Amino acid sequence: MNWNDYEAVWKRQELPVGAGADLPRLRETFETKRRRLAATLLVRDLLETSAGLFASGVFAYVWWHIGKEGWPIALAIILMLGLSGFFLRERLRAHRHRLGPDAPLLARLEAEIAGLRHQRHLLLNLWSWYLAPCAGAIVIFVATLVRLLITQAPPELFTKLWEHPIVVVGVILPVVAVQFLVFWGVWALNRRAVRKGVEPRLAELEKLHRDLLAPN
Amino acid sequence: MNPSADRASLFKTWLEEHRGIVVRVTRSFAPAPADAADLQQEILLQLWISLSSYAGQAKPSTWIYRVCLNTAMTWRRGTARREKRHEPEADIAHLATEAGSPADQAGERELLEKLYAAINALPDFDRALVPLSLDGLAYREIAEITGLTENHVGVALTRARQRLAQLMKGVTDELE
Repeated sequence: MNWNDYEAVWKRQELPVGAGADLPRLRETFETKRRRLAATLLVRDLLETSAGLFASGVFAYVWWHIGKEGWPIALAIILMLGLSGFFLRERLRAHRHRLGPDAPLLARLEAEIAGLRHQRHLLLNLWSWYLAPCAGAIVIFVATLVRLLITQAPPELFTKLWEHPIVVVGVILPVVAVQFLVFWGVWALNRRAVRKGVEPRLAELEKLHRDLLAPN
Repeated sequence: MNPSADRASLFKTWLEEHRGIVVRVTRSFAPAPADAADLQQEILLQLWISLSSYAGQAKPSTWIYRVCLNTAMTWRRGTARREKRHEPEADIAHLATEAGSPADQAGERELLEKLYAAINALPDFDRALVPLSLDGLAYREIAEITGLTENHVGVALTRARQRLAQLMKGVTDELE
């Protein structure tokens, strides 16, 4: 048997009964799926962008209460707003580069490869666009509050505190350690996601792309 | 006639004319009946959704092939777990009985079942290319659907046919 036999059998095959479409049901499914997808995307986008906006709001509220002295908090607000703006830009970018299901197969493959490379780049450089701005904003915010506390509190309080450095270290160290662990955890989880999910998939698609365009 | 009614009528007409594309792509990517029903529903849904963006640059059949294959490939990737519970022999036999072929065509039906099983076992892009070739599409048309050049279509198809022949070797020996 050869290819022509396969082709002949293929072309003679009968179509199963009931392979048509129930249009009203299809419309209903489409509407349900569309609503569900829109809600999921809205929640995700809101969570991503609103976390930065919420933090900015809190910082702004504290700054408003402190007054002029709290001006460095403005830098923290800028960092958090920048983070929200970055998430928004990424969403718009993803939307712009999305190809519909009626695109040629190769174009879809290339778009998927480009998307995965971009995702890998973002996840591997998480510290630069996510962790550093967050940590920077927190450090600025806390430092401003501590500076204010030091200038406004009675001097004898600090004299007494410095007499018991173990108390100071006991308060500061756990806070710093928890903060460090959280940031390290986020970084490690994203590295793992790259290693276990993005890179194998990318390698598979890049191999497929190379094979397809191989000269022979 | 309003645009929505136009769209519905165009959808129905195209589906009647090109139902075979939907069925063959579905069976090539999802031999198990439950999966096939799921994939077919997804393909029809994507066809319906994408119809509003059809601008007439491609022939309807080319456009339908693209939507069907892209949807099937995405579906397949997203449902790798289906592979684990998939039982090719039983599933394909079930699909074939739905076709209701006469008894004297049993050999041909069996060959078709094996052909679908072999296509299903091919790598992703080959699984998309082989049905196009079996449907008798010219390299130019396949190039339009896939986005490859005609030369690359030729090369990729040669490789895909070799892989298919390898998979079908035991089967055809048995049938001959």
